[in-house]
Amino acid sequence: MDFNLKIALAGEGGQGVQAVAEIITEAAYRAGFQALYIPNFGVEQRGGVSVAFVQISSEPVSAPKFTTGDIVVALSPRAVERVRQYVGDKTLLVYEAGLEDDVRRVYGEEQRRLAVPALAIAQEEMHPRVFNVIILGVLVGITGFVKEEAVQQALERQLGHKFARDPALRELNYRALERGYDIGRGKREAVYTNLFAV
Amino acid sequence: MATRPVTGEQRAFMTGNEVVAWAALAAGADIMYGYPITPQNEIMHYWTRMAPKYERGFLQTEDEISAGFATVGGVLAGKRAFTATAGPGNVLMQEAMAMAEMMRLPTVVVVTQRGGPSTATVIYSQQELNLTCFGGNGEGLRIVYSPASHDELFLYTIKAFNSAWKYRFPTFVLGDGYQSKMREPVTIFAPEARGITMEPCHPMVGLPGLPGEERDPAHLRNTYNLEDELYEVLMDAINAYESVAPQVMEWDTYAVDDAELLIIAHGVVSRAARAAVVTLRERGCKAGYFRPVTLRPFPAEPLRPLADRARNLLVVESAYGQLKRHVQAGLYGIPTPVTGYLRPGMGITPEEIAQCALSLLKN
Repeated sequence: MDFNLKIALAGEGGQGVQAVAEIITEAAYRAGFQALYIPNFGVEQRGGVSVAFVQISSEPVSAPKFTTGDIVVALSPRAVERVRQYVGDKTLLVYEAGLEDDVRRVYGEEQRRLAVPALAIAQEEMHPRVFNVIILGVLVGITGFVKEEAVQQALERQLGHKFARDPALRELNYRALERGYDIGRGKREAVYTNLFAV
Repeated sequence: MATRPVTGEQRAFMTGNEVVAWAALAAGADIMYGYPITPQNEIMHYWTRMAPKYERGFLQTEDEISAGFATVGGVLAGKRAFTATAGPGNVLMQEAMAMAEMMRLPTVVVVTQRGGPSTATVIYSQQELNLTCFGGNGEGLRIVYSPASHDELFLYTIKAFNSAWKYRFPTFVLGDGYQSKMREPVTIFAPEARGITMEPCHPMVGLPGLPGEERDPAHLRNTYNLEDELYEVLMDAINAYESVAPQVMEWDTYAVDDAELLIIAHGVVSRAARAAVVTLRERGCKAGYFRPVTLRPFPAEPLRPLADRARNLLVVESAYGQLKRHVQAGLYGIPTPVTGYLRPGMGITPEEIAQCALSLLKN
């Protein structure tokens, strides 16, 4: 079956949005899908809204950017505004739960949505630095097309050198991934699982 | 010391900048000269990381004027030399590239277009088409390839070295920030694995033997005293360019046989154009697409009959009419109306093109 899943992610520079995009795209490519990821960034090294465009497809991906995402992720107040142009009627908006008021103001009540308390989980149960890995887990859980192990391997490729220095980091990241995965799986929709049923 | 960077064919998932560095290595490039500028930087980064392993050289110069002239110097010394730049850096390189045009030097430049004019954005555009094709104080005797995918970025970077050394015209790979930064699957290969033989490189200075007695003197000039002298040299170069143009020209088409609406795009935008044609066909619109792969020489001849047969032409580009002007000049005398979907410095999606095409067909 032909499919082309489009995900846009946005957050503040330094929140780890690009790493999430890179890991999920690489995991999808290694799982045998066509995949394309492109970052969009300003001239600043830090600060400013960082946007990532991910497409995972059965056929080679056409244009690197798209008009409307199937899933759009917003992780900061400015990101909530910034991704508005990529959100359509059918888009699932995934956002940090602390942004509830911003999301309500920009998108009203009708938008399909999933609030993820990633900041609270990271701060209270884990470590602030795994905030983005929780989000990664959520996306893997929602879409369900890449096995968790494949994502762990992708994490390993990305962060292996850090894990080697501090093995506790590996365990922390895996836990964050798992926690996000469980949140995402609860929202998994037939539309995605059907797409990827091979 | 490893000698072969790529053997056979290898699948990979990487950014376009990595692809260019691998391609230059696979092509046997001897040295890169460069000065940092986004979104080209990682070509230099990857090259400097990998080049020492294969005994290749790198020199960071003080600016792009210098990088351009150093590339000229490398080529004169018989090295397969290249540089990469973007935006304002591409502007600064034009003097050196004009010299390469004048002296028929096989320089290779990879351009990763960013928003312009001036510093503008570090992200993306197709606004360096005019500059790359015609940037010098001359006639634009250059070869300019516009790749659309990582597979092509790899292939045309290799090809650029061969075209440059075979035809002796400065050659450019005109990429863009999107292609530089995006990751997608690519198959990299050793040229011989695809039956490609690299053109040999020869030094033009420091040749052995006594000039005038044991060999002809090397007469390398970019300065002439008389109009007639310059005219003669230029006309030789122009005639050479025109005679090889048919061999150098490349283009791509899709669904053009019965196309009433012909969408014309180059580079990364052509991917969106092709996808839009698929959508339009599904809706019963007779759409097709034409893509110049070489922007210099521009493939006007193969385009003309297709354009003549169509009822509408739609030129789509991330610039304000730079491709459209080429198209219109190439199609002079053909009455089919030409419309532009012109978005300087902006990415273009298949949905936008399809929508624009549908509204064009309604009117």
